[in-house]
Parts: sequence; structure tokens; C-alpha cells
Amino acid sequence: MYIHQHTCISPQQTNGLIQLEEISISADGKLLAKEPVLEGVPPAMLRRMSKAVRMGIGTGLPLLKNNVADGIIIGTANGGMEDCIIFLNQIVDYEEGLLAPAAFVQSTPNAIAGQLSLITKNRGYNATHVHNGLAFENALLDAQMLISGHSHKSYLVGGVDEISSYNYNIDCLAGWYSKIKTNKHLYTDKTPATIAGEGAAMFIVNGSPVNALAQIKAVSLFHSTDPGTVVGRFKDFIAEWAPVADNTIFLSGENGDLRQTPLYESCEEVFGSAIPVARFKHVTGEYPTASSFALWLACYALKEQNLPPHFYKNEHNLSQVDRIIIYNQYQGMQHSFIFVTQ
Amino acid sequence: MEKDALKQQVKEQIVKFLNLNTVSPADIKDDEPLFGEGLGLDSIDSIELIVMLSREYGINIQDPKEGRKILTSINTMADYIEQHRTK
Repeated sequence: MYIHQHTCISPQQTNGLIQLEEISISADGKLLAKEPVLEGVPPAMLRRMSKAVRMGIGTGLPLLKNNVADGIIIGTANGGMEDCIIFLNQIVDYEEGLLAPAAFVQSTPNAIAGQLSLITKNRGYNATHVHNGLAFENALLDAQMLISGHSHKSYLVGGVDEISSYNYNIDCLAGWYSKIKTNKHLYTDKTPATIAGEGAAMFIVNGSPVNALAQIKAVSLFHSTDPGTVVGRFKDFIAEWAPVADNTIFLSGENGDLRQTPLYESCEEVFGSAIPVARFKHVTGEYPTASSFALWLACYALKEQNLPPHFYKNEHNLSQVDRIIIYNQYQGMQHSFIFVTQ
Repeated sequence: MEKDALKQQVKEQIVKFLNLNTVSPADIKDDEPLFGEGLGLDSIDSIELIVMLSREYGINIQDPKEGRKILTSINTMADYIEQHRTK
């Protein structure tokens, strides 16, 4: 499966003019996405959209305007959770009486793919995957299966998630997020928990290598809480798909949570010091579909043939980037490997 | 409640309920159409306004034709609320 175009909205300057040299600093343990002005969206539609939907439209619409897509496939763990809570509170406040429709309509996870379809009149395949920390990877697998049967077809594939106050508070209480951590010292602050993030990244994919930005060679996903299983699966993945380590970056989803760092480090050790390790959660924060940003960053690195220094964990002498291996996990349970090449 | 105060309250509620980020209550004229021209509201907004009338004033609109007349402008809404409110 080949990636032909991509867009990204994140807490950094990744939409329009991309600037990754200097990064925005988190506040109160959160990295909030920078939203662009949305053009081509009717004002009445826009004012009803939750942030997740706006980010999805902001990334998906430019790609659908420039490409003919046979379908829209979105991965989102929570969709517009903020609006979902508004709707649920209304049910309680008004004793299950007369309920306004907008918050409900916008809060369903498939509102993103649905709105993209409505705005662009794209009546093709339309699916939303909601497998929490593996939602985006499942969207990729869906596209891969569709393309394996019809290589001439193109699809918009993306991952989107917003920080909702409700989920954020629950995750803070559960110890996943810290309100005092910052992205400035994310990897050196050796404590549990990480910072929250949000964003959207979308891709036009099809089976044609002509003028492609990158190829997704393999996607592997699984559930496990056993570190030994994770490393074993990683070794198998590398042996099958990426036995050559030349000009390769290992893009790690390390998030500064002391409890999860060993998972990433044990995968790094599979390579020894053979390939450089890059990290990205200090620019995005943690969220269930952060791997979509990782894929976007992999495409960026392949195009630019490097990444700004702050992404690298150690010094390196990489002068050419041909392959990127992404490992990301969510809350110590959901793991994925993605292998991307030129 | 004075009629002008009621109109001001309705304008504030419309801005809040319909999430009109770029409109302030002062921008809404008493006699301008709420739908189509003027404020440019649409059919989903009309449902939101009917819900708003029920929640805030205890007014239940059953007949869609009647609803269309009531929701014509701030003036028509304020007149109807004044006569039919139950809270």
C-alpha cells in the first residue's frame, strides 16, 4: 500500500507551512492541537462541529479536494467525546425529556467520516474504526485489505482524537496523565504518567507506486501486557519485514511514563546501536491515535531525508533515510508495529 | 419581565444554544428574519430552538406550521413566550 499525500493537524506547526525545528511547550500537562481556519465548510456546519470533527475536516478535506477517493476510512478512539458528554448531561439535566440533536449527531465517532462524505459528496466506502489505541492501525488494515483486492482504488485513511475534559480527568485519576509534567522534560522526568495530546493525520493511499511518498510494507497489531510477548513479536516482525538495518530509523512512541519506557527500550535493544532512535510524543503528547502522527512523521522524514535533532534519542550519523520502523503502544496494552519505506 | 429584557434574554439564549461563535446578542435585530436571510439559521437550528423554548419557558410546540410563525424573528418569539410561558 502506497501513500501519495498526507496532511496533519497537531500541537505543532504541521499544517500548511511545516515547522518542526522549534516546538510548542505543553501547558497544564496538555498539548492542544493548532487548528487552521477551515475553508469550504458552511458556517452553520462549522459551528456545530466538535474539535475532533474540525480536525478531521481540516486534514481530510484538502486531500479529498485534490484526489479522487473511493472511500473514507477513519480511526478514532473517542470521536467527539466532549459533545458526547454534553449530550449525556442533557439527558440527566432534562430528565430524559426533549433533547437537542446537534451534540448527539456530532458526538458519534463516525461524524468525522460522515461529515467528510457530506461536504465532498463522496458516496463511496465509509467506515470508522474505534479500537481505542489501535483504531488508526485498524483503519490502515481496512484500507490494505480493500486495496489488496482492488489495487487501482484510492482511499482516504486517517486517525483523529481530541482531548475531552471528561476523558482527561478520568485518565488523570487512573494515573495515565500528569498535570505537572511538561514536554520539555518528558523523557528525563522519570515518573509515572505522561502528558495528554490530540491531533489528526490523514493519508491518500492506493496500490500504485508511481509518484508515491512512501510505502507501508507491514502493519502488525496485538494486545498484551507481557513485555516478553511484545519483544518476541517485535523480533518476529523485524525478521519478517525489516531484516536490513541500513538507513533505518526506529520511531518510538516513548511517552515519558516510567512504567512503559522499558517496553520501548527492550524493542530498541533488538537493534543494539545499529540504528538511530527517534521519538515524537514530546511534540504530540499521548492520545489513542498518536500512531497516525508517527506515520505522518515517517513520511516527512523520508521526504526530507532527516528529522530535526530534538526527535533523536542519541547522537547518530544517519545521512540517508530509506526505512522507518514505528513502534507505538497505548496504556501498556495495545501495541502496533508499522514498517514504512521509500 | 419587561418585553425588552425578555428579547435580550432570548437573544442571549439563541447565541448560547446554537453556538453562534461569531455573533453577539447585540448583532441580532428584533425584526430581522432568523431563518434564511438575516441570521441564516437552518432546519436543525429550528429543532434546537423548539427544545430551547420547552426547557427555558415550558412551551411545547406541537404544530410545525405554528412553530414556523413563532420562530420568524425575535419579536415573534418574545410575543409568543410572553403569552404562553409556563415558567
